Amino acid sequence: MKASIAQYYPGDSIVHRLDARAKFVAVATLAVALFVRDSFAGLAVFASAGVVAYGLSGVPVAWFWRAFRPLLWLIGLTFLTQLLFAPGEPFFSWWIFDFSWEGLQFAAFLSLRLLVLVLIGSVLTLTTAPLALTDGLAWLGRPLRRLRVPTDELALMVTIALRFIPTLLVELDQIMRAQRARGAEFGSGGPIRRAKALVPVLTPLFVLSFRRADELALAMEARCYQPGIVRTRLHPLRAGMPDAVLLAVTAAIVVAGLLV
Amino acid sequence: MSAASSDGRAVSSRSAPGIAAGMSVRCDGIGFSYAEAHTPIPALRSVTFELAAGRSLALLGPSGSGKSTLLQVIKGLDTPEAGTVALDGLRPDAPGYDAARREVGLVFQTPELQLFATSAREDVAFGPRRLGRPEEEVQAAVEEAMELVGLPPEVFGGRHPYALSGGEQRRLALAGVLAMRPRLLLLDEPFVSLDPATRRELVRILVRLRSGGVTLVLATHDVDLAWALCDDLLVLDGGRVVASGPWDAGEAGRALRAAGRLREPFLVELWRRLGRDAAAAPPRTAAEAAEALR
Amino acid sequence: MKPLHDSTTPPGTPDDEGATGPRTAGAASGAASSAGAAAPVIDVRGLRFRYPGAETDALGGLDLSVESAEFVAVVGANGSGKSTLARLLGGLETPAGAMRAVACGHDLLTDDGRMAARREVGVLFQNPENQLVAECVEDDVAFGLENLAWAPERMRARVDEMLARFGLTGLRDREPHLLSGGQKQRTALAGVLAVPRRVLVLDEPTAMLDPAGRGEVLEAVAALRRDGLAVVFVTQEMDEVVGADRVVALERGAVVYAGDVPGLFEDVGLVRRLGLGLPAAGELALELAALGRPLEPLPLTLDALVAALGASG
Repeated sequence: MKASIAQYYPGDSIVHRLDARAKFVAVATLAVALFVRDSFAGLAVFASAGVVAYGLSGVPVAWFWRAFRPLLWLIGLTFLTQLLFAPGEPFFSWWIFDFSWEGLQFAAFLSLRLLVLVLIGSVLTLTTAPLALTDGLAWLGRPLRRLRVPTDELALMVTIALRFIPTLLVELDQIMRAQRARGAEFGSGGPIRRAKALVPVLTPLFVLSFRRADELALAMEARCYQPGIVRTRLHPLRAGMPDAVLLAVTAAIVVAGLLV
Repeated sequence: MSAASSDGRAVSSRSAPGIAAGMSVRCDGIGFSYAEAHTPIPALRSVTFELAAGRSLALLGPSGSGKSTLLQVIKGLDTPEAGTVALDGLRPDAPGYDAARREVGLVFQTPELQLFATSAREDVAFGPRRLGRPEEEVQAAVEEAMELVGLPPEVFGGRHPYALSGGEQRRLALAGVLAMRPRLLLLDEPFVSLDPATRRELVRILVRLRSGGVTLVLATHDVDLAWALCDDLLVLDGGRVVASGPWDAGEAGRALRAAGRLREPFLVELWRRLGRDAAAAPPRTAAEAAEALR
Repeated sequence: MKPLHDSTTPPGTPDDEGATGPRTAGAASGAASSAGAAAPVIDVRGLRFRYPGAETDALGGLDLSVESAEFVAVVGANGSGKSTLARLLGGLETPAGAMRAVACGHDLLTDDGRMAARREVGVLFQNPENQLVAECVEDDVAFGLENLAWAPERMRARVDEMLARFGLTGLRDREPHLLSGGQKQRTALAGVLAVPRRVLVLDEPTAMLDPAGRGEVLEAVAALRRDGLAVVFVTQEMDEVVGADRVVALERGAVVYAGDVPGLFEDVGLVRRLGLGLPAAGELALELAALGRPLEPLPLTLDALVAALGASG
């Protein structure tokens, strides 16, 4: 079974080598700009930036497509709802739905905007190892420590969660198979019956996870982990000239996108 | 061939309580591959073998050789891309095949991970209830199965599965499958991560099932326990059959072992070292061996 | 290659300012005490432990002493207290009491002592899946060093050394769920030993592995032993005990045998009572003993069995 949710594509392109924090800031800035600007021209500027970044990343199209495909229906749904429910002078009516040029234009704009957002976001997740991304976010979240938000602990939790997702999926599959071997059926009957059918699957999975949490905590303590300690990292975050360039270029793109 | 009645309930006179008479199984050219995201890993390639009712088969081979997959295909949890699994002489398109498949029990690796009910009795009852058996029959099957694995229902029935020891949990999970009265029992690495005492107890239970007439398929890494329990041998490597047939210590057995690159069972080797192999077949268990050597 | 327990590098010395706190004192005293080579690395008298809510002691007054470079096997059935002992020695549980409980010069009866002991006594657990924290092999090996705030360059060197030592270099970027059981357990072992250790406690490290994985782990442990690391090996499998310098048998939280390995096998009744997993030769010898033909000492290999049968028959 496919047991990885991370879409990270290991590589050594210039985009890969950029610092996770710089990439995150760049993507966040572009995302905000994308939502502030509501013209096709602005969209075109941001889209070209996304395409160029993706091109530099060297990620194969097939890989990108695999990560992107599940989001396609979301974009499609956005298009449809906007098309059907946007106000405007109808040129065509059917049942309770009115189709208008304004609606079509609006729907196209919104779905394209979503498309560009996904593209730009994907460049970040495709070229940044989840661990580096988590570390980067923890670093960016440091000011929150003053508010007693335990950012480093949260980052470690996210890392551990990511590490165990594939394991959990395999275990889920095994338990479902085992219960099917004992005659259980999933996905048939009404919602209540379906929910009930999941008890023999979710109960063992929870128990397993609780036991795991216990054993994992012990193993972490055995390797000198304590909440609140200051840790170093094997792969420290390192920002350099290319990252400064990235931020400068991002600023230029934002200005261009907002002014065209 | 089989002593079971057509409705699948055991009627064999030689069966112990709760043990159903065995069913034959024949695999013909089974092919299967996991649908992995990038590289499909061929898990089974043209696997063919036959196991007569009431016999026991050792399924041996290195990790990743396809043993677990084969068991799941036989149980019908995975559909093979090629080939067929015939049960009780019935091909998959035959009427009654689905009923036969329900009489295949599969004990997963570390089956205690599937325990979920709030009492041992309820957990064991899950399977037979799902088969739609009448409640009194379910209760009888539960009692017999728990008795069979050495967890008397009057002592253990009301206990919470998670409050049992690891060894007791393993046996309870086995009871959960036995309560469905399987006529073909597939076991996936049943001895893994068991303490030695439970391992011995499990061997005793399997011996009892075997002499009760259930057909057994035992996927394991433990050549000595397999030798003690199994008549036939099937060795997989890279999803292919590299050896199959009756497992005896004679010429055929040696050829099988050479093909399967297996360590010989300890007792076979001992008998050869003692020069006794010419006179008599090597014993299957330490107890038999001790009896011969005393 | 640098020995794993190289005491020229004081264990767990933090390179960064932040991580020090009060525990630095403990680490420093550990380094100092290692100078006194004669002292045993583990010295425990009358160690008691009880789980919360339990009615009886999991350990009731246990004595154990381990010299540096010694390989001590601890055997016993389930519930005999051997895993509890492993956790206590690693400073991971708080003893209910003891006349003396010292690990690598650190007093296990105090909070600071246990924290310091965690840096010098490594513990490897049974379930390889539930010990790996990070998303890839090399990050997991680094986890302990990250917690001790080693500088990245020094950490890099140590991690590379450990990867090479345990044959994991080619797997460094592999995600844990794609590893075999043996590879997982070797990764966990490398992670435990990346932090320089003076004692390694193994709590049934092969119980959940297939024969191939078991072989991998036992081979790695044998190599550690050759390097002179003190090892406490908790197991139920007799063939893992055979090469030990000493064996300690536990029953219901108490030591029922402590001595050399052949001595344990002389007492066939005790071996049976402990419920240990015997190699096939030993199983057969026990059956023979029950039929009135005892072979002593208990043979554990085919060769020993053939020889014993020849001698007594």
